Amino acid sequence: MTGICIIAGALDGKLSRSSLELIGGARMLQGPLGQEVAAVLLGHGPGLAEAAADLHRHGVGRVYRCDHPLLTAGQTDAVLVAGEQVVRRTGPEVVLIAADTVGRELAPRLAYRLRAALATECVELGVEDGAIVVRRQVYGGRALATLVVRTRPAVLSVKPHALDVPQPAPVAGTVEDVSVAIDAGALPTRVREVLREQAELGLEDAQIVIGGGRGLGGPEGFALLAELAKQLGGAVGASRPPTDAGWVPVNWQIGQTGKTIRPALYIAVGISGATQHIAGVTGSRTIVAINRDPEAPIFSSAHLGIVGDYREVVPALIAKVKELKGA
Amino acid sequence: MEIIVCLKQVVDPELPARDFAIDPATRRQVREGRPLVISTYDENALEVALQLKDRVGGKVTALTLGPQGVAGDAIRLALAMGADEAVAVDDPHGVGLLGVEKARVLTAAIRRIGRFDLVLCGCESADWVERVVGPLLAEALAAACVTFVSRIEQTNGGLLVRRMADEGFHQLEVRLPAVLSVTSDETNRPRLPKVKDIMTARRKPVQVWPMADLSGTPADGDAPGVEVRDVALPERTARCEFLPGDAAAQVAALTQRLRDLKLL
Amino acid sequence: MDFELNEEHRLIQATVREFAAKEILPVAAELDHNPRYPAEIIASAAALGLLGLTVPEEYGGAGLDGLANVLVQEELARASAGVQAIVTVQNSLVCDPILRFGTAEQKRRYLPRLVGGEWLGCYCLTEPAAGSDAMSLQTRAERRNGEWVLTGQKIFVTNGLEAQLCIVYARTEPVPGARGISAFLVEKSFPGISVGKVEKKLGIKCSSTVEIVLADCRVPAENLLGARGRGGPIALATLDGGRIGIAAQALGIARAALEECVAYASLREQFGQPIKEFQAIQWAVADMATRIDAARLLTYRAAWLRDRGERCTAEAAMAKLVASETAMWAAHRAVQLFGGYGYIQEYPVERFFRDAKITEIYEGTSEVQRLVISRHILGRR
Repeated sequence: MTGICIIAGALDGKLSRSSLELIGGARMLQGPLGQEVAAVLLGHGPGLAEAAADLHRHGVGRVYRCDHPLLTAGQTDAVLVAGEQVVRRTGPEVVLIAADTVGRELAPRLAYRLRAALATECVELGVEDGAIVVRRQVYGGRALATLVVRTRPAVLSVKPHALDVPQPAPVAGTVEDVSVAIDAGALPTRVREVLREQAELGLEDAQIVIGGGRGLGGPEGFALLAELAKQLGGAVGASRPPTDAGWVPVNWQIGQTGKTIRPALYIAVGISGATQHIAGVTGSRTIVAINRDPEAPIFSSAHLGIVGDYREVVPALIAKVKELKGA
Repeated sequence: MEIIVCLKQVVDPELPARDFAIDPATRRQVREGRPLVISTYDENALEVALQLKDRVGGKVTALTLGPQGVAGDAIRLALAMGADEAVAVDDPHGVGLLGVEKARVLTAAIRRIGRFDLVLCGCESADWVERVVGPLLAEALAAACVTFVSRIEQTNGGLLVRRMADEGFHQLEVRLPAVLSVTSDETNRPRLPKVKDIMTARRKPVQVWPMADLSGTPADGDAPGVEVRDVALPERTARCEFLPGDAAAQVAALTQRLRDLKLL
Repeated sequence: MDFELNEEHRLIQATVREFAAKEILPVAAELDHNPRYPAEIIASAAALGLLGLTVPEEYGGAGLDGLANVLVQEELARASAGVQAIVTVQNSLVCDPILRFGTAEQKRRYLPRLVGGEWLGCYCLTEPAAGSDAMSLQTRAERRNGEWVLTGQKIFVTNGLEAQLCIVYARTEPVPGARGISAFLVEKSFPGISVGKVEKKLGIKCSSTVEIVLADCRVPAENLLGARGRGGPIALATLDGGRIGIAAQALGIARAALEECVAYASLREQFGQPIKEFQAIQWAVADMATRIDAARLLTYRAAWLRDRGERCTAEAAMAKLVASETAMWAAHRAVQLFGGYGYIQEYPVERFFRDAKITEIYEGTSEVQRLVISRHILGRR
């Protein structure tokens, strides 16, 4: 067993951003472990050539490309079969997987089949005293657990957006096409449809995010937040209660389940501050909270607090911002 | 449909910060004296199971793993909500098992329960948040696996499920038997038990199995390949600065601060 | 002596607490500022089984004991005393007497609907000239053509506006006092019964308080509740349970006041520190907590006695007396602790102050409770 292997997903036909984040993780390990990094690229279609090139551009020299019509969005069973075949053939010590929709199912199942050590949702990877050490958020983000990986092989899944996409470091790389056998009839699950929701585009990349919570009282409150976001040039998201109640699409959810964001400015409106929501926003540089309840836990995580009714504060803020922009 | 729902009891995740503490000896949260609840998404899993039973008939078995005195409340609530029977695997040492270890014990318990069509659990536990138990159970039980499922329908030959995905949803056809991990959704908010059912829950069968009696317990087999070295609280950030006055004054102060921070 | 609640009681308490937090608390202030009958809350409460807690399963109830009722009432009142008033009347003043004194046919006819929330019930005892001296009531019921015909005026009837069933106490015998009274189950659909004046009140505003007018109201003979001439003891036995329910209401209001004070004292800073650092505030909180606990134990004890079928008139009176005076005192203290903010409707304590007052008055004023208790000790004249 040798080497660090990144499972690079291109299930939508192009390289996922979280695959690039894995490269950053691999870089933390490769030097100290003295191991090489390779990538197993799984997907289908002409986009795979560019995906391989992108991997090379970021310093991953050896790419095993696996192109199969069943390797598409959400098809974890096919990805698992292909991934297991390729990983067994290449025999790495460490497999890194992005904990996205497919990855979070793939990692434990692959670890089971390989009888590998398993650590999921890692936010930091490193090597200390020769051992792989990872950190992960626990207790709704209130604490950080440090785990030492004692056995090999090891499968580590990395929380999306926890690591930065590394700087390009182009190398002249190779692409080896690997064919895998997948028996479609034997797969117990099949994606019938992929429904893309009207996403709050760029929620994870926005520099300014406004989040709405249960305190908005209903879906109408989000119209006000949308106006504020427009004035500030930001995106709108939500904590869990509005998405559970169906006031906004589920993929607007920010939190431990949902998106992790690290904007320069996060404004939480009518959000009580449940720990699982806070876990999704602690990386924000400045957090402003607007809430009627001075006791709301959100204020323990906020930098600036406004105790008040959002129905008064947000329109006033919109007006003020317009005024300042006009001036 | 024979459905087994795995329920974990955890310290209330909404505990005030001042009551949250890590025990350095166990490297886990201090549970003594803290209120316990069923892990958030496990409740959604139970609700999904009950709704499916309401629609297609069958039986729902609640399965817990933990110190018996503690798991009792989770079982009582599950039976009051409508589960038909319960199995409590008694682990007297309590918490501290990693997901891989729990999955092994639960697998042995499920095998002993016998036949099942569907196993449901929460997509992640509110405390340790590994997100592994569902997929590991599926592998061990040779069952189909989908995680982060919000809705389930029965179809000819299996299930149609909705999985929450980064870009929206996936609709998947799933063959039985299956292990699904469940996330919350407007359609699966856990029901409050009727008081009548709280009383009749007493009469429903509950089996208690000592963990040591089950094969596949942590004592058997390999130790997990990872070890928890420590659990630490991150540094406290600065106290929140409350902006004073009425809405106009607060907004003026806020915009000034945002300009100072070059965010406006 | 075991002071622990058993597991079912704890789960019931936790369930109702969650129900109250999710469905009642968010609208409690609104229900007071813009009063309306909280139909959707009462429907949800019925679905959970909260409208006929002690009614046996055969009539659709949960068959719980009086202690469970106390726990439920306190949790509801903590969120909204007005909502709880509606629920406690249904449980203690309507379902309970039908259970204890009704025929099998009456129980079969009325209990399932009351428990299921289809029908609301009310209790008609007080009259313009018969308040504390309730047994001097003058509404009369005459036998005519095989029916009873009721004539009179009842006031201060909780739930009277929305109720479909009224338990009416009327004089059937030509003797004064309790011995001349009988109880009747009167459906609003019977000819001759109507709602008169609808009162505007100081507190518990979402629960209706009305006048019920009986003008030759014809009631079938089979709707006599209990034996003829036994209405006095029926009313009094019912009040024992009713008073325990009011004691629980008062506990809920008092606890609300205490919890708001604790939260506020941690947040409000004056003279450079949170006000909870000041001894005056600390002592106020200590007194509140202690007196509420004392009232709670009295209430539990009264419920326990009643559940065992033992006489509990004096104990119920003690519980109601102490709990209601504690609620009024605690709410008053809370307004004071909040200072100027305590006077403002945006903060809930002024509502607790207004809601608490009624607990010292209805179902027997504090003066009447003292009368009841002293008679128990000193004997009657």
